[in-house]
Amino acid sequence: MFDWLKRGPGRNLRDPLADSTNYLSAYDKEGRLRRAQNVDLKKYRESAAAATNGPRPLSTAEKKAEDAMIAQENADGITDDEKAANALQRAQLRARGSAEEISLPRERSGDLRPYPMNEHFRSQSVLSEELREQIYQQVAVVGLGVDTVASSFGVDMRRVAAVVRLKTIEKQWVGQGKSLAKPYNDAVLAMLPKTEYSPTRVTPHESINDLPVHPRTRNQLFYPTSESRHFTREDAAKAFDPKLLPADKRIPLPVLVKLEKWNLENLPREERQRRLREDDLAERTAQLAKEEKKAAWEARTQRVVPGRRWDFKFQDISAEKVGKDGRGRDAVGYRYGMPHEDRKRGLIKIPTSVE
Amino acid sequence: MPRRYHGLKKIKVRQDWSRETLYNLSRLQAPRIGNRTFFQQKWTAKSLMRGYHNPYVREGTWTRMFDRRLPAVVPMDHRYLARYDGSEMTSGRGRGRQEPPKGTMNGEEEATKPQATPYMQMTFGPLERRLDTAIWRALFSSSVKQARQFVVHGWVKVNGKKMTYPGYQLNPGDMFQVDPERVMYATGARKITKDSSASDQDFRAEDTEIEKKLQEREAAEDEANGDSEAGAATLESAEEREAMSTAPEDEPDAKKAMKNLITRAKRILDESKQTLSGKRQQELRAFAQSVKKTMSKHRNTPEGEAAAEETIDTMETALAEIMTKIPTDIIPTQTTAEEGASKNPQAEDAEVYAARKDAELLHAALERARANPVDASKPYATPWKPRDYMSAFAFIPRYLEVNQNICSAVYLRHPVARPGLAEVPTPFNSETAALAFNWYLRRR
Repeated sequence: MFDWLKRGPGRNLRDPLADSTNYLSAYDKEGRLRRAQNVDLKKYRESAAAATNGPRPLSTAEKKAEDAMIAQENADGITDDEKAANALQRAQLRARGSAEEISLPRERSGDLRPYPMNEHFRSQSVLSEELREQIYQQVAVVGLGVDTVASSFGVDMRRVAAVVRLKTIEKQWVGQGKSLAKPYNDAVLAMLPKTEYSPTRVTPHESINDLPVHPRTRNQLFYPTSESRHFTREDAAKAFDPKLLPADKRIPLPVLVKLEKWNLENLPREERQRRLREDDLAERTAQLAKEEKKAAWEARTQRVVPGRRWDFKFQDISAEKVGKDGRGRDAVGYRYGMPHEDRKRGLIKIPTSVE
Repeated sequence: MPRRYHGLKKIKVRQDWSRETLYNLSRLQAPRIGNRTFFQQKWTAKSLMRGYHNPYVREGTWTRMFDRRLPAVVPMDHRYLARYDGSEMTSGRGRGRQEPPKGTMNGEEEATKPQATPYMQMTFGPLERRLDTAIWRALFSSSVKQARQFVVHGWVKVNGKKMTYPGYQLNPGDMFQVDPERVMYATGARKITKDSSASDQDFRAEDTEIEKKLQEREAAEDEANGDSEAGAATLESAEEREAMSTAPEDEPDAKKAMKNLITRAKRILDESKQTLSGKRQQELRAFAQSVKKTMSKHRNTPEGEAAAEETIDTMETALAEIMTKIPTDIIPTQTTAEEGASKNPQAEDAEVYAARKDAELLHAALERARANPVDASKPYATPWKPRDYMSAFAFIPRYLEVNQNICSAVYLRHPVARPGLAEVPTPFNSETAALAFNWYLRRR
């Protein structure tokens, strides 16, 4: 083992590789990078370290040139900001000239397997810091909806919501002066593949319309129908289960299908927007009506008796619900005759949810 | 807990970032099952996989968590759904169409072969829901065992409330937070001794070199603690010597005082590239005090104000930081890059510009130092850096969304399988997983 770690492929895995992931499957038996067989990794690591540590100290000739440049700048009378920018530019130029340019090609999908034997698992990219910030800005500052941001960035809706939630806490911490785990953050993000943000081009992070496989569709089905029948997805869903909705309605963002259909119909922009507004309004009124209906039902059937600490709600129930064995799931007293064991010694009761 | 946890003879892959696990991963092979009975095959596969997938969970507990209905999703393309209503799938044989339509789920152009969904790899999916496993998957601890310890010791919060059960089953949308100090400890390089901030990773290469470096380091520390006079001999130039000898608060000329200060600051910054010895720390403290005095003195005189008021302000804020924290590991090459600018007293404005540059420089350096300081009181080696072999294990599955800055993560959804990809990270191939899955089906 120690031979493998010191002299074998294990030597490459000890430290992270600059600008790259560093997984086991990226190396061959001799410890060479599969995607860049000719690159001397030792040299690459050295050059990367030199680049991060900044430029080397100036030689005398360079120093003289630098002094001359500054004198020239002073004589010209340019602003301080420009001077600083120029100095930075010169430093970068020097750094580029000194360090040998060794670059690695991008990882192929085979290089992203942390477990070489498992072909079905890959290290998938995470959101870069800029992208997270952008998502936060769009939702929390600009005030766009989560679904709009999700479809425009190609990020799952739940992820968008989570990013905003986490970013909000991060900003709170900054406001409170709590220290962030910045070095950890930088180190970990340098090891992972990332989806970068670019203002001009959107790289989708993941598929946003994932259709969950419904248990009813797991069984293979032989459904004879006439050849002339126009058999659509809706019919297929019905064939599997009468209550099953078609894929168009079960995906998380069905509105995208609607928009694309209007697009295919070559509807003018104003018309599309008008229809979208109408649909939104209809949806909202339907939701309101539903809530009102529920409130009315509660007022009709439930009697509320305010207590000292809690309100007691009384509701009529049907004793028929208990079913044949008297233990129907939705019925009252479904646990009669079943002792609770959670007060016994040694039995712990783990909470099932945290509010 | 098995007696030999990291066996090298009998290959066991564990849920941790150890070098033994890495080595075992590199030579892990599908179990040889050719001449064995089906029961034996299943037993082998199951014991292998359970050795990885949280062996701390009792078998009975796990079998109750096991579910034969494995979750999967199919990514849908909304453009495809809008264009076709599904009837194109039936327009085959009897109607004269021999080929499936060009438009596939993946796009209009290329008709790719649909990939199989690796359901079997999802066998141990329910274990990924456990809090301790999720903490490890979010890269907040170096092993599941350690994650479990964090939970039990009360370093973990779920939705803002302390959660002490490692077996808590996360629900979609639950946020868990781990104390950042614990995370830094778990994922950072280890210290050699309790009192020093150095890590074993600082001394690499050959063993002889390690000893040499250790000796050097000890010698330096001894010298620092012993006499304080020896350091004076190392002062390079006359300018520096003057700056170090005259107390800035006694200096009548504000400009000259500032210059002295800057020289001293530079010296400290240069020194801090090496480890900060005890003597240097004393010097730094004295320096910070004298700066404060100088500032307060020249603040009242009109001459001092004229020199550079904003410069003094920035310097003062920067130096207030020195008082609280001892800065080290500042990148001194930044200083050298700007040296030409600061040592060039061409004109009056140039000098002010240089002074401000220096103050900015100092400020930036302090920022960096504050983000990742040297602090021997921490339980991990400082400045913080990731532990060895971490990069080989570093991945974050898609069912988690992690914010590393605050060491918090959200459990978005349960892991799912999708065509060609299973989200449960497991080191074993799908044949082994299928055998293990079959083991846990009731009838075997």
